[in-house]
Amino acid sequence: MISNQLGVSAKNRKLETFSYDDQIVKWFVTATVIWGAVAIILGVLIAFQLAEWRLNLGLAWTSFGRLRPLHTNSAIFAFCGNAIFAGIYFSHQRLCKARLFNDLLSRIHFWGWQLVIVLAAITLPLGITTGKEYAELEWPIDILITLIWVVFSVNFFGTILRRRERHIYVAIWFYIATVITVGVLHIVNSIELPVTWTKSYSMYAGVQDALVQWWYGHNAVAFFLTTPFLGMMYYFIPKAANRPVYSYRLSIIHFWSLVFIYIWAGPHHLLYTTLPEWAQTLGMVFSISLWMPSWGGMINGLMTLRGVWNKVRTEPGLRFMATSLTFYGMSTFEGPLLSIKSINAIAHFTDWIPGHVHSGTIGWNYMLISGILFYMVPKLWGTELYSKKIAHTQFWLATIGLVFYIVSMWVAGITQSLMWRAMDDAGRLIYPNFIETVVKIVPMYWVRAVGGTLVLVSYLLMMYNLLKTARTGKKASAEIYEAYALDESSIEPNADNHRKLEGWPMIFSVLSLIAILVGSAIEIIPSLMAKNYIVKIDAIRPYTPLELYGRDVYIREGCYLCHSQTVRPMSHEVLRYGKPSDAAEFVYDHPFQWGSKRTGPDLARLGGKYPHMWHYKHFWDPREVTAGSIMPKYPWLFDSKIDYSTLTKKMDVMRRLGVPYSKSEVLNAVWTARTQAMAISGELIEEGVPKKVVEMEIVALISYMQRLGVDFKNIPENPELAGPEVK
Amino acid sequence: MKQAVLSHWDIPWLPITALIMFVICFSAYTFWTFRKGNKKFYEQVSLIPLQGPSKLKGNDTYE
Repeated sequence: MISNQLGVSAKNRKLETFSYDDQIVKWFVTATVIWGAVAIILGVLIAFQLAEWRLNLGLAWTSFGRLRPLHTNSAIFAFCGNAIFAGIYFSHQRLCKARLFNDLLSRIHFWGWQLVIVLAAITLPLGITTGKEYAELEWPIDILITLIWVVFSVNFFGTILRRRERHIYVAIWFYIATVITVGVLHIVNSIELPVTWTKSYSMYAGVQDALVQWWYGHNAVAFFLTTPFLGMMYYFIPKAANRPVYSYRLSIIHFWSLVFIYIWAGPHHLLYTTLPEWAQTLGMVFSISLWMPSWGGMINGLMTLRGVWNKVRTEPGLRFMATSLTFYGMSTFEGPLLSIKSINAIAHFTDWIPGHVHSGTIGWNYMLISGILFYMVPKLWGTELYSKKIAHTQFWLATIGLVFYIVSMWVAGITQSLMWRAMDDAGRLIYPNFIETVVKIVPMYWVRAVGGTLVLVSYLLMMYNLLKTARTGKKASAEIYEAYALDESSIEPNADNHRKLEGWPMIFSVLSLIAILVGSAIEIIPSLMAKNYIVKIDAIRPYTPLELYGRDVYIREGCYLCHSQTVRPMSHEVLRYGKPSDAAEFVYDHPFQWGSKRTGPDLARLGGKYPHMWHYKHFWDPREVTAGSIMPKYPWLFDSKIDYSTLTKKMDVMRRLGVPYSKSEVLNAVWTARTQAMAISGELIEEGVPKKVVEMEIVALISYMQRLGVDFKNIPENPELAGPEVK
Repeated sequence: MKQAVLSHWDIPWLPITALIMFVICFSAYTFWTFRKGNKKFYEQVSLIPLQGPSKLKGNDTYE
């Protein structure tokens, strides 16, 4: 006689038959494999572009600034996203002993998500972007993502409600946290006011926007690249090893600690900026606290393999899973380390950060996805893995390629950072020309590109292996299972509180939501109130219409991906760039453009440093003014006319966002912009530039470049001379 | 002055309250989780992924 976990007799229990929807899992698996190749090919391409600028090809849509967001979005949302949905739908059905809630919703989810990816693949190379890292997609796509996420959520929670297993297994807890938190993050960070169908401005500005963006950015890593993968780890490693998880109790501690702590850590991306000191410290402390749950999870995963380590040598799936956990441990050690302010001072803005990120995305996500695919594909297609030998070759290529990547970026990052801060006995910069520090590390960019190529080859081997596996598979017949319906006999009497909670999905979800909202609220709400506190300075004026247009060009071309716009209060930065940044400088910046990487120098104090002609030449060919520069050329800016038709609308939207443009300034935007364009182009034409320049976008971009930091630079050091405060 | 208030955020009770909340919650679920009486239950539920439903029809390679 069958009895449930509580030993309750099966008598009088309703036996139900059902099947799993594995077709949708197959679709997501296929999409994962295809989009993964796209993401890695793009990654390798932009890695080579950094080593050799000519590979930007002089075309707008193949330039680094446009392809880099496509690489990150395809890696995160297309490759990892589809893998998450495949892994969740496969394991969720089996852990719930139930078919997915609704087949139609599953299909809407699949096709809707692919539509989002295709739209991203079209819009990002066209320069349609919000300019916020990892959230570049414009507002109509944001809305589509929200709708598809709702569809996924309904399908996911609906399946839980239909489950035939009382206890909600720990993997599903991580999925619940993912579903809830990603929804919250996406909606809060994507609040923006549309200008046109392809252009919007972030609701937040400056410091607020930075905090919200990195709260989102960091937790995209946490709740898109970590928690769903941990959930899958808790399902697929026990399955592949045929052993229960090492410590279920540790997994409970792991879950709650991780979910609570992770959400606080975002501000570690903004250390030494004008973000309030308390928020920076909070971000640092909670980042360090993350060591405990992260390593708890890693240990739990690795210890699950106790007794089957011999299989790790022979079974490709297990080998990838074990290695992914090792890289997870490494990157979750490195992350908190980089969050310590003194270390962050060295590492931030350098190549160390992409090195760290890729030890996570390649080492943890790609490796785990490989392991999961090697487990799922033979089962889904009813066959054996085509070639273990190819899988082992893939493993070594990926591992060696990743080591090349990480080590080269460590060397590049630390070398460049030490050069930035090197000063002689007289207190002068030893390397005052930024380009000296770039040229020095270009060899490391080649090593990275070679490492990336090895990872790409490993991936192509996996594609081939999986394709051959699927082709040799049998046509699966309909699988019918039976299990008892969930009824009151499965409710455990006298269970303690946490055990009861583990069977209550809705209450569990609400508590998870509270756990993530505590940190979010405490960090973000005071900062949203910052508008009331930041001292506005009269001298800091909103951008002129032409500068605003130029700023949009700057965002469109992805300049923020290689240039920061914030000077940290460090002696070497002040010597190199000028006065440290102040929160008041950014109050009109929708969105903020502080950046996260300095492949090129900081631009916060660029305005007025060079004549217009210098900028003109620089965008035409950076090598004309900076020998050794690795920046791409931007010839299309010299042929694209300024589109004045949206300027009034842009100004009006900015006004609605709180930028103090008067009505007449908005109404006269086009006239003002044309006047300024004529003034700038007049100087250029005098120096022999063709007259048509007055109509071209290059003039707008130059106007923006020449404005950067000018207002703040001109404020006298003595605050009493800075003029009255505007409240 | 207002900027100084924001920069230094002289309201230490807010993050400290969050920390206390975390410590209390952490202690509570650690205590509940590691109670002796729960051991057998958690050993059983850790087997959930390994115990699929009974199969009536289908390929052998499937669960």
